[in-house]
Amino acid sequence: MKHLMTLGLKIFLVLLVAIQVISCSDSENISNLEDTLIVRHKGADMPAYIYGNGSEKVFLIILHGGPGGYGLSYRYGTIKSEIEKTCAVVYFDQRGSGMSQGTYSKDGINVDIMAEDVLALVKVIQHKYGDDAKFFLMGHSWGGTLGPATLLKDQHVFKGWIDIDGVHDQKGLYLEYINFFTIVANEQIALENNIEFWNGVLNLVDKVDANTYSDRDFHDLNSKAYEGESILTNDNIIDKGDYDGDVFFKYNLFTRLWNLLTIHTILNDNGLHDELTYTNRLSEITIPALVLWGRHDLVVPPKFGQEAYDLLGSSSKKLVFFEKSGHAPMFNQPHLFADEVIEFINQNK
Amino acid sequence: MRQLPLVFLILNSYSLFAQNKSDHSIINSKSLYDRIEFKASYTGNILWNQGITIGAEYLWRQKAYEKKKKRGTKLITHQYVLQSEIGFTFMPATQTDTGLLTSLGLIWRRTNPKGKQISIGINPIGLYRSILPEVYEVKGDDVQKKTLAGRIYYAPSLTFGFGKFRKNKALSGRYFNFNFGIRTPYNASILPTFTVSYGYRFKF
Repeated sequence: MKHLMTLGLKIFLVLLVAIQVISCSDSENISNLEDTLIVRHKGADMPAYIYGNGSEKVFLIILHGGPGGYGLSYRYGTIKSEIEKTCAVVYFDQRGSGMSQGTYSKDGINVDIMAEDVLALVKVIQHKYGDDAKFFLMGHSWGGTLGPATLLKDQHVFKGWIDIDGVHDQKGLYLEYINFFTIVANEQIALENNIEFWNGVLNLVDKVDANTYSDRDFHDLNSKAYEGESILTNDNIIDKGDYDGDVFFKYNLFTRLWNLLTIHTILNDNGLHDELTYTNRLSEITIPALVLWGRHDLVVPPKFGQEAYDLLGSSSKKLVFFEKSGHAPMFNQPHLFADEVIEFINQNK
Repeated sequence: MRQLPLVFLILNSYSLFAQNKSDHSIINSKSLYDRIEFKASYTGNILWNQGITIGAEYLWRQKAYEKKKKRGTKLITHQYVLQSEIGFTFMPATQTDTGLLTSLGLIWRRTNPKGKQISIGINPIGLYRSILPEVYEVKGDDVQKKTLAGRIYYAPSLTFGFGKFRKNKALSGRYFNFNFGIRTPYNASILPTFTVSYGYRFKF
């Protein structure tokens, strides 16, 4: 019995030390932040990983793609090496994504609640770092859907909006795939690049129903977009970036993929791709805006970049097309990307 | 909550009895001490989560039978064992998947004359309590920091394992298990989990 008690005591001590390690692991050096905060909001516990220079209390919140992507997938290249020196970058795992956890029903996942989550994140950062914290919001791909949804709820807490190949018009994506794929495929065939692949793209475009949205056709087109960008990269039309991220050990692969599948299915079943659009409400967004787009983005075609720029109600706005980029200009042309983002933050902070 | 598995084991120990012959000396004993073994193991998925579990096993029933072979007979032992475990799992990289776990269930284990074992376990009662690093709860405009915040998930599991019975040794057995489980309700559905365990059984 004595041995049992000794063993129990040892285990208790080990657990205690472990818990202390957990609660004390964050860096308190504000010029070189390495914080992990959890935002608990409406049944979800969502990690926000904060890295970089917080000395001016300028926070750049990145809304990842997907839905079902993960925050730290953006911590590479010049975001890590240059932008983190300018400001604190907040890599946020959205509800049901990455390592987020919680307990809520399927009704607990929709764009409105996810936008409220972002505003809850802002409140948490203000609570921890002070009410004088300044925020920029940056959304990539699906993050470009969630960004406008957030800004339309409350844009006054943000100094600026950075839209990177974002989908403000999920509903319009299906038809634009058909239009843009036809243009790009014909261009590439004329250049005699990968004729077989691009003829396959034209065949796919002919096969899908151009009048009525279909989930299956949408996913075929979306998959073909990624495949097409890979082909364009091999043909040196899109710059091949160097990925130096180190997220493998930070996300349990099975958890991350399971969450991706689950949230994507739920949002899709709720009409994400055939009903959701903010096109008619972009004029209500009036804070400074920077729209960055890959010229050869097949996943969210450049038409949407021009449309976002034209329709945003901001008096201060800028559109930049990255001529050697696809869906991820921060990956394809990282230095130009960082220059644009840092300049925008410095002008508006 | 963590005492529940032990209470369950003790309550059950008075209503259960041994059967048949065995190469284990404990088989005809009704002593709780003889029938209980303790165990400790590494439990995790190696890449992301590292953890430790400790537990107890209570030999509920045992049946030995002889299997006739060309070169004689083999004594095969089948055991039904009630088990309970508690553990701690830690995600060193971000601490976003750290928690306490407990399980209670039944193991079927087959031992051959060389002491080699295979086992299948079912743990219908299991709980996982996450421990999150620095949690801020937001309700409207109110933000509150929570200490040792986490959530409790129902976490039943199945295990498949291999092991070795070590007769007359202080460490009476070792095992390597594959554990498949779920946590529910997790986000808007469930979360499947997969871990491995490597550990030893022993008596005090």
